[in-house]
Amino acid sequence: MGVGTADDAGVYRVSDQLALIQTVDFFTPIVDDPFDFGRIAAANALSDVYAMGGEPRTAMNLVAFPLGTLDHDVLNQVLAGGIQMLEEAETVLLGGHSIDDPELKYGLSVTGFVHPDRILTNQGLNPGDQLVLTKPVGTGVVNTAVKAGLASEETTALATDLMATLNRGAARAMAKFDISACTDVTGFGLLGHLAEMVAGSNVGASVTALSVPLVADAFDFAAMGLVPGGAFQNRKFRKNMVDLDAELDPILRDLLFDPQTSGGLLMGCPKDQVADLLAALAEEKTAAATVIGEVDARRPGRIQVI
Amino acid sequence: MTIDIDARGLACPEPVIRCKQLVDGSQPARLSIQVDNEAAVENLSRFLKLQGYAVASQGADNDFIVSGSREGDAPVAQPVAAPKRTTTDDGPQKILVFIPTDRMGFGDDELGKKLMISFIKTLKEMGDELWQIVFVNNGVKLTIDGSPVLEELKAYAADGLSILVCGTCLSHFDLLEAKQVGETTNMLDIVTAMQLADKVIQPG
Repeated sequence: MGVGTADDAGVYRVSDQLALIQTVDFFTPIVDDPFDFGRIAAANALSDVYAMGGEPRTAMNLVAFPLGTLDHDVLNQVLAGGIQMLEEAETVLLGGHSIDDPELKYGLSVTGFVHPDRILTNQGLNPGDQLVLTKPVGTGVVNTAVKAGLASEETTALATDLMATLNRGAARAMAKFDISACTDVTGFGLLGHLAEMVAGSNVGASVTALSVPLVADAFDFAAMGLVPGGAFQNRKFRKNMVDLDAELDPILRDLLFDPQTSGGLLMGCPKDQVADLLAALAEEKTAAATVIGEVDARRPGRIQVI
Repeated sequence: MTIDIDARGLACPEPVIRCKQLVDGSQPARLSIQVDNEAAVENLSRFLKLQGYAVASQGADNDFIVSGSREGDAPVAQPVAAPKRTTTDDGPQKILVFIPTDRMGFGDDELGKKLMISFIKTLKEMGDELWQIVFVNNGVKLTIDGSPVLEELKAYAADGLSILVCGTCLSHFDLLEAKQVGETTNMLDIVTAMQLADKVIQPG
């Protein structure tokens, strides 16, 4: 796909009928519970394949584990969490590799199949496309509140389940429509990833801030000053591409740049198909199925937030 | 300017958590926090505004100071920190009491400990002029669980008196967790406080 447009996965065309999508992702724990960490890391690794319109088929574990300091049972739980998601994704675990390391890290390398004509990248948005998002944003802020010991058990559990939710249903719904471009929302935040989709292209986008779905309590936590440093970096990085309405609540603005872990899919859908797409997403019970903005040709390479 | 919290080198959300602890605890009318990144500046400003403080920030690059001040339910008679270095005639002079040991004088340690207890209990007679108490070395043991003057010190803190406890010393004696009163601080704060004070008194 080239390195210029920052896709998370690589594609190899095997034949006219088949291309391989390969991706790898791993990170340090973002939640306390090892099983949940395993689930989230796996959902996150699988997501890159879904975002490219593919179906994950095989996976390999990547593990760094402090053998001397952490109980072996922790590792078993992390791996069990990963396996649960792989089963849900009908993806075969072929093996893996582990090393002794002072800090726990876990993730997977995932290989998926896609028809070469159905590959989706983060490029290709057309003027008039509706931008559809399939998970609420704000997990970065909620994770920060969890670290600060201020999030309720309920909110923590909600955010954890959200991060551990596969983008499988969203990808399945998406496959039925003429989606122009797709990405999964992760570390750069919603606007950061949208910026990648329009940067250097001949289209721009407008986002209606109030229509963006938010994780429970995320707004209140952001208002308390629990915005992760990454959100500020994301905003700074894309400052020159994004026009923010003067009336926009800075708290909301920060949430639009909030780095997500295993976030939802963000896709461009032709206007006349969007109602059916939203219905199909609802049928798949995706965490959100919301039009958050649209693509236009008036301001190429720019995002306007109203 | 007295820095109440040095949050440099701390990742989000730690600066806000420290600030919240201070605000929840001694409810200072004024406070200043030093940080090394803009994210922390924005987060702290937001947090303090939500708590009813008027907020100002200054600095650049990787050295910022966020200051908050508020009136009303916060104790106003004894500002925690003097934000400006002024020598105006009005207002009480600022006395900093520097306590480097848990006993007063030499000769008999038993007697020395009693004298120190009595000294701390009697400090309130300084009235408005008593501005800060700083505990270092063995003195930090007066701020921990089981200290014979813990109740008095807590009462001083509740009155808005600033109590600083040397973090290096607490950590040296492995007492970081045991500290029950005052703000853990560093040598820069202590030196700055001494410089700002009109008078420094050291019993010992």
